[in-house]
Amino acid sequence: MSLFTRKEKLPIPPKDAKQYTTVCQYCSAGCGYNVYVWPVGKDGSAKSNAFGLDLSTQSSMLSGHSYSETMHNVITRKNGIRYNLAIVPAKESRINKGDYSIRGGTNAIAAWSDSGYTKKRLKNPLLRKGDAFAAISWTDAVEIIATLIKSSIDKYGADSIAMKFYDHGSSGVGFEDNWAAGKLFLSGIKTTHLSIHNRPAYNSEVWGSRERGMHELNYDVDDARLADTVLLWGANTYEAATILYTEHIMPNLQGGSVDEKKKEFDSGEPGAEGCLIVVDPRKNASVTVAEAIAKERVLHIRPNLGTDWILANAIARIAWENGWHDKSFLEKRTDLKTFEEYKTKSLQLSRKLNDVLTEAEKITGVSRKEMEQAAEWIAKPKTGGFRRRTLTIYEKGIIWNMKNYDQVASVVQLNVLTGNVGRPGTGCGRQGGHQEGYVRPPAPAPGSIYAGGPPINVDKYLTGGGGKIYWVGATDPYLSTPNNQYFRKVLKKRSATLLDHIDEGGVPSDPKVLIARVLDAFDKTDGLFMIVQDIYMTQTANDAMLILPAAAWGEAAETSINCHSRLLRIYDKFMDAPGQALPDWKILSMVGMKLRELYTAADNLEMADRFRDMDWKTDEEVFLAGSRTFGDNRLPETEEAKLSAECYTGVTHQILRKLGNTGIQTPVRVDPASGKLVGTKRRYKYSFATNDGLFKWYGTDPWSGYPAEIAKYVNNPNYPFWFTTGRSQLVWQTMYHDRYLPEKYFALPLPYIEINPADATALGIRSGDMVEVFNEEGTSVALVCINDACRPGLVFGIMYHAKGSMNHLTSAYTDPKTTMPWYKGTKVGIRPYRGTPDEAIRTASLLPNNDFS
Amino acid sequence: MSPLSRRQFLHSSAATMALALMGLTGKAESATGKKYPSVKIGNIRELKAGEPVQFTYPDSSSPCTMVMLNNEAIGGIGPVRNVVAFSSLCPHMGCPVSYRNGRFVCGCHYSMFDAAKNGQTYQGLASQWLAQVTLRIDNPSGNIYAEGIEGLVYGRIGNLNIS
Repeated sequence: MSLFTRKEKLPIPPKDAKQYTTVCQYCSAGCGYNVYVWPVGKDGSAKSNAFGLDLSTQSSMLSGHSYSETMHNVITRKNGIRYNLAIVPAKESRINKGDYSIRGGTNAIAAWSDSGYTKKRLKNPLLRKGDAFAAISWTDAVEIIATLIKSSIDKYGADSIAMKFYDHGSSGVGFEDNWAAGKLFLSGIKTTHLSIHNRPAYNSEVWGSRERGMHELNYDVDDARLADTVLLWGANTYEAATILYTEHIMPNLQGGSVDEKKKEFDSGEPGAEGCLIVVDPRKNASVTVAEAIAKERVLHIRPNLGTDWILANAIARIAWENGWHDKSFLEKRTDLKTFEEYKTKSLQLSRKLNDVLTEAEKITGVSRKEMEQAAEWIAKPKTGGFRRRTLTIYEKGIIWNMKNYDQVASVVQLNVLTGNVGRPGTGCGRQGGHQEGYVRPPAPAPGSIYAGGPPINVDKYLTGGGGKIYWVGATDPYLSTPNNQYFRKVLKKRSATLLDHIDEGGVPSDPKVLIARVLDAFDKTDGLFMIVQDIYMTQTANDAMLILPAAAWGEAAETSINCHSRLLRIYDKFMDAPGQALPDWKILSMVGMKLRELYTAADNLEMADRFRDMDWKTDEEVFLAGSRTFGDNRLPETEEAKLSAECYTGVTHQILRKLGNTGIQTPVRVDPASGKLVGTKRRYKYSFATNDGLFKWYGTDPWSGYPAEIAKYVNNPNYPFWFTTGRSQLVWQTMYHDRYLPEKYFALPLPYIEINPADATALGIRSGDMVEVFNEEGTSVALVCINDACRPGLVFGIMYHAKGSMNHLTSAYTDPKTTMPWYKGTKVGIRPYRGTPDEAIRTASLLPNNDFS
Repeated sequence: MSPLSRRQFLHSSAATMALALMGLTGKAESATGKKYPSVKIGNIRELKAGEPVQFTYPDSSSPCTMVMLNNEAIGGIGPVRNVVAFSSLCPHMGCPVSYRNGRFVCGCHYSMFDAAKNGQTYQGLASQWLAQVTLRIDNPSGNIYAEGIEGLVYGRIGNLNIS
């Protein structure tokens, strides 16, 4: 009857089960988890078990102890013995307090099991042999890569090597892998053709904030419970950072944190149930859940796509006009010289308020009344003259918007203008996608166009015929990069060209012969040698010449910080990687060491030296090596702004094991008085991260319409719908695990769009139909879900899915200031799909996911 | 879960709470052994589409809901295979779920489960789908029997392993 085999009982971990602490591998929330491993057949009992609970009685509601069907798996370790694996949410973690999301709840079933859902993990290095792949040894794989890189650098220069790697934490990578990737690519190979996993260049997504002196991770999770107002701007927290919403924002709305406010607030300061502002073109679940709780304290603002910075500036102008800005903060903490530029360009003080707001209404589609309401909730002082406390959390709706730099800067500046920094219940930062774990040597482009940039667009370099080697690590650009159909078409062709050239009566298996042929192809063709390093076969890997199997979460000891508290914890190793798979840092280390050997043999000691210090033996050695880049962290609390947001100097894996789910908040300091390591709860209480400690203002650009890539669709009747993309609550990223988990693939079997009932009626389509969404960039096939999240004229699509990408439709436009794409805005047409509907449709729920009534 | 959000919940969902408290705070009356019992839980002629019926299964501390849907459902019984039953405890953290408009909604964290699609979580936090009760209809009497559960009932190490 059931779509898949369900469990009706679970094995009990015995008292002597091995126990580890870890952090969820998925979103930016970074929920704490406890891991139990014990041999199959050696179960504990209801009365005596590692949970320390009496399991003969049923847990009570909200007990904080959860052990469900998706929290158990059976794994096989390298010793051949089968073990039970239980991964349960940690009640003692102050991030999740025993709560967990639909993604984190599947950490156990996503673990590699040779007989389970995830058996298709990559187990050996694979070399392309015509249409198929053959397993080869690590020795041969490393020799092929290192020799090709060396030859390519020597003949064509370092920029002939292009890379696309993570820069984040969690998802099976951490500070360790980031340091190793930085050593190899940034200080070893020294290519400037670097790109980060989800975008075409090597850039910060938030230079608009950083170049003001404000790192994007500056608040604490407690601030979401303490704020008078939480402002979510382009951040769908309920579906993308779920536990931040259910454990911190939701209790604030419900009045559950009033007692905490009274403790933290100034004497006599009012503290009541919180308000929530959501700025998002969609009425998504972050809006409708809040409305189900306290509709009168929820404000939903729906700007036209691409216009958010005009809206932020208009709200700021209203606050200014009412005298709700924080004069004392502006004078003491911000640079009044650059403030003049902000006043002129962003607040437009030389123009009449009415003119500014009338124009803003026209551009953004947001009414003046809504702007005034937002300004009031963000900045109007409370009874008794106490300043309001507003926490602003923004994410991809701002970051992946048109004009990335100006969008981010405008939201941050609204926050600083109103003094919402450094106090409990305030802050302005990213929600984040993944967790973080960045530690690298300096990047080639240090900042935006105003600070040494912009960085190179590697996608355009590759599609323009540039580069000889493209190394992709832990990402799937065939789904994720913008203007995807074109990107994929060109890379497929360039990979095929290389293969054709070397395949003369078969691809040679002797590395030396193979290398000689590849080098000949480099010389005579525009062939591209693509290397994919990942945990599963990916869409991109289908065109790779070489595939490298990496260890996943739980298969190596890693460290990362979450985004809402910068909480550094250990993600311990509790199982073995499948087959020959290795941690990313180890793979990068082997290639670096081989390059050093090859350059030494060629008597090129200068080049050999660039690859030194990569001979790490353990995870912890890489972690410690990375920490040296942060510099001296013996500083008093008042100087925390001088530290890198992720500084962990002095912390070891051993210390983190002792701290377990408690962790320590970066930046970590050595307190000069006590000599002890201390964390930083919230940032910028005393100064900002600039030379003089003052916040630097920026005058944003005026509205100048849409870029050519989008303007061509405006007023074109073939593409009547605005189109935006985003995530689904149910799945993580490209569904690299989820595509194998029945709870996920039955529920979300196909890429889908959400469309307003009025548009669906006009098009004659129903929920459960399949359609083609198209424009001049490409076509995506999608399942139709009708709901009222989008207004008529706007269509939403899941950004990408195991079975297809909506990035076929996104343009190649990037912000000229930062090289950041506008993933979330274009225009499309919609027509019925004429193929046979996918069988998978029958299992998918088509009920509106934003209706909780 | 913070204590106050729980209070808020208690306030807003008093009706469904009564059901849950019966199951969750009361001591289970008897162990049911290792086999699922066959228990008559209603008759198809007494069911009205969209009107849920409460019962407990496989023992008195496991509240369940039976409902006749408008259309055919996975695991449904009856002439149009539209009668289904599920555990009434959210598999996420054990709060009661209530049936409304073709789905079960949890009042604590707003997980939603599609009653026609195997109790799948289509929104919310529950990584485990709702546990579905196996039903059998006896013809011609129309009596409906609960005879098993697919999926784990919240808070239990085993559906039949509660003392």
